[in-house]
Formats: sequence, C-alpha cells, structure tokens
Amino acid sequence: MTGVSKTSPLSRAAKWFDPRARTISTIGFILNRITALGLSFYLFLHLIMLGQLAQGPQAYDGFLATVHSPIFVFGEVLVIAAGFIHGLNGIRIALNSFGVGARYQKATFLVLLSIAVICSLIFAVRIFTV
Amino acid sequence: MSTPKWVVTFQIYRKKGNADPHFDEFKLEVSPDEYVLDGIERVWAFHDRSLAFRHACHHSTCGACGMRVNGAEKLTCITLIRDVTQDGGVLRIEPMRNFPVVSDLAVDMGILYTRMEMVEHQPVNSDAKEAIQPEARPAGPVGEEEDYIRLSDCIECGLCISACPISGSSPEYLGPAVLAGAHQHGIKGNEQLLKLVDSEDGVWRCHSAFECTAVCPSFVEPGWRIMDLRKQVIGERFKRLFRGSSPKIIDTMEASK
Amino acid sequence: MNDSRYGPKTGESTWLWFTKIVTGLLVIVILIIHFIVNHFTAQNGLLTYADVVKYYQNPIVPIMEIAFLVFVVSHALIGLRGIVLDLKPTRAVIGAVNWLFSAVGVVAIVYGIWLVLTIVSRGASS
Repeated sequence: MTGVSKTSPLSRAAKWFDPRARTISTIGFILNRITALGLSFYLFLHLIMLGQLAQGPQAYDGFLATVHSPIFVFGEVLVIAAGFIHGLNGIRIALNSFGVGARYQKATFLVLLSIAVICSLIFAVRIFTV
Repeated sequence: MSTPKWVVTFQIYRKKGNADPHFDEFKLEVSPDEYVLDGIERVWAFHDRSLAFRHACHHSTCGACGMRVNGAEKLTCITLIRDVTQDGGVLRIEPMRNFPVVSDLAVDMGILYTRMEMVEHQPVNSDAKEAIQPEARPAGPVGEEEDYIRLSDCIECGLCISACPISGSSPEYLGPAVLAGAHQHGIKGNEQLLKLVDSEDGVWRCHSAFECTAVCPSFVEPGWRIMDLRKQVIGERFKRLFRGSSPKIIDTMEASK
Repeated sequence: MNDSRYGPKTGESTWLWFTKIVTGLLVIVILIIHFIVNHFTAQNGLLTYADVVKYYQNPIVPIMEIAFLVFVVSHALIGLRGIVLDLKPTRAVIGAVNWLFSAVGVVAIVYGIWLVLTIVSRGASS
C-alpha cells in the first residue's frame, strides 16, 4: 500500500516498537524482535571474542578477567534473559504455526513470559552472588 | 426518562490534497450510548461540511467506517462513545494506517479489494451448513438445510491491515484479511492459491502480533487462520515431498486456464 | 495479476521458514543438554584456559558445540533476513543480503569448527 512508500527504513522499523493502543500480543512481537537483534549481535561478538582461545592461555585468561567486571556480568544477565524470552516465545510461535493452541496464544504468552522472568531472576541472583 | 449528556471533544485528522495534515477540534454534546460514527456525522452535518469520511450501513455489515479512535482501530458504527472515552473526554479520530489517505478520514482501500479478489474471497460463506448452528437459525416456515447460506464473516473493512505491524513496514505483505480470505476459501486443490500464500509475502511473513484478531469487528480471527494456513501448507509440502507432486491438480489448473 | 505490486514473490517459502523453526527448537534442545553436561563435567565453571581445554577432551563437548554453532548461526541469519524483508527492501538489496548472509554463515561456521578443533588438539597434545 503506497501510503508507506515514502518513509525511510528506520522510521518504518520504529513502527514495530510502538505499543500504543496495542494488545499484549504486540509486546510479544516487540520483545521477540528486540531479543532477536540483541542475541544476533551477541552471537557474532561472542564468536569473535572466543578467538582469544586460539591465542593461548595468557590471552584467554586476560580476556576472562576483563569479562568478569560487573558491566560484562550485567551484559551476561541480559543475554540469558533475552535467551529465555526469545526461546520460550519461539516455542509458542512454533506450536501455533503447527496448529496447536493459536486460539490460546495470549494466555500461553503470559505463562511463558512469566516463566522467562522467573528463570532470568534466578540466574541473575546466582550470577551476582557466586 | 432523560438520557445523560456528555461533552466530548472530537479531534479529527484533516488532510486535503498535498497540504500538511492537522487536527480540527469540535466540542459536541453527545449521549454516551451513541456511536462514534454518530458524532462524526454530526460534525459533518452541523460544523464542517468539508469533512470527508466513509460510511454506509450503520450496522457493521458494509465495512466502510473503519477508523482509528484514540489510536485503536475501530468500526466506528458499532463503537459506543461510552466504551472509548468519558464525560469531558477526548476522541482522537484518525484514518486507518497502511492505506493512502484520499481525504481526511477516507483512505484508498483498492489494493485490499484487489487482493481479496486474488484469493477468491466470496461474500457468501462456502461452508454455510457448518457455519450456522441449528439453534441460531431463524424460526418459521423455511426450507431444507441446504437453503441456509450465510454471509462470510469478513466485511473487508481493512482494520486488521491497519493494525498489523508487518503491513505497516512492508506493503508487499498480503496482510491478515487477505490470508484469512484464502483460508476461508480453502487452499485444497487450488494450486494458484497455495502458491500465493506459500510465498515470501504470504503466511511466513506473519510475526504473531495477533493485532488483526484483536481489532477484527467480525470475529474472523485472522491470526488463528494464518496459523492454520501454515499448518495446511506445511502438510501439503510434506505430502508432496514424500509422494511427489500431484499431477492431477496441475492438470486441472492447466485446463482451467 | 502480473503487476509486481500484487503478485507474490518466491524466496522465503515453506522450507526456509521450516528450517528457522527446526533450528530454533534444536538450539533449545542443545542448550538443555549443555546445561546437563556442564552440571556433571564442569561443576566449578570454566574459569581458566586450562579448564576449557580439559572440558573439550570429553568428546560430547566438541560435537555439541559444533552442532550448536551450525543451528544457531542458521537460525540467526534466516531470522535477520526476515527482519530485512519486513523493511521493504528492493530486489537488489534483498539479493545482496542473501549473498552476504550466506557468506557470513559459511565463514562463521568454518571459523567456529576450526576454533573447536584447535582447542581439542591443544588438549590432546598436552
């Protein structure tokens, strides 16, 4: 529909993340998209960083020391939370697409999101206290 | 009996030609049990005859009066003012998204109608017998079961296209109404329809925001239908993978050309 | 109906989408196995280079890591391509993205396998 053709890709993408006057299911879509982008970024960053392993013990242990600073640990918690949200939401979408429970998707989403939040909190507490 | 009166401010989106859009405000005295469309009609009748908007039947059958009310897609002829604002409140009325604005609240829905035709959407439902439960049938001297037919649920109002985040960024996506139309028509044995929905712009583009189902005034449940279409397409593709494609279907397709 | 505005495009049809879903589910399965294996073989975590090298001597670990790499990279790239598609790219842009993402996928997987095999060989030689 030609009404949107004049806008830039960035302003078009911004529309995805506008939850005004939308339902809870849109929160699922927004979370899925944000975590997808975040996890993809982390995946490739992680692959590059693990190259330190090939550099031998000193390089890798030095790298680990940096990564254990609070800011990186916080990042690690974000990755784990994103993984839970994206993974559990993904299970819902897969089930719906194979004809299972699409009519109960809202309730499924709320249950899975609660599980994701609880699991993320458990991991966060463990990581910060160990 | 006196009906309570509310004072409601209608903020109406205005756009003519290439001029920049703006909002006009109209303060109206309304009954909370009137519909939003009644208020808009009163603005047109008594305040500004240049206001352009679409409407016809006033009972959610024609699908012409879809607009955004305080951001949410509504069929304005069945949206009670009571349900969307309060006394002294505001009603922000905007045209639907994802369609070109023709004038003020009227949008060009041509592409939706073209696509509905592409998926062979019929205004009369094909599975009529199944759709009307015996207890829901009108009483009286009527004929055999075969005589019951019903209108299709989808009234082609476009609200789902306006609410869909993917239709918003990607006009090529066929959109919820169109895929729901394909589902209602049925893809079994229809090679052309199968190809249409099993494409980059078809069922695989949906990202499960389910806004279509939330805004549909006619309970078509496009979100569920898209998911069910996926199941059907996957089933069909697997069947062909293991059994080879069915030449019978292709023959009839060629013959019908 | 042959008007490009209305006609469907082929490209992401059933199988690409199906791959995305299946790899996504496999990633979840392997993550679960990963947590179980870690629980039994590396209870104190992998906190030094030596720990990691030792951990990779268990044959299930490199197999698990390589499978995880293949599935997660495929899932991520198909998913990212889907996001690009939603931005109304021109045919040329999506064509370039197809090639770029395929190349990134191959490079990431080859590099990852090389890295895993390097770590395994360090353990074997020591």
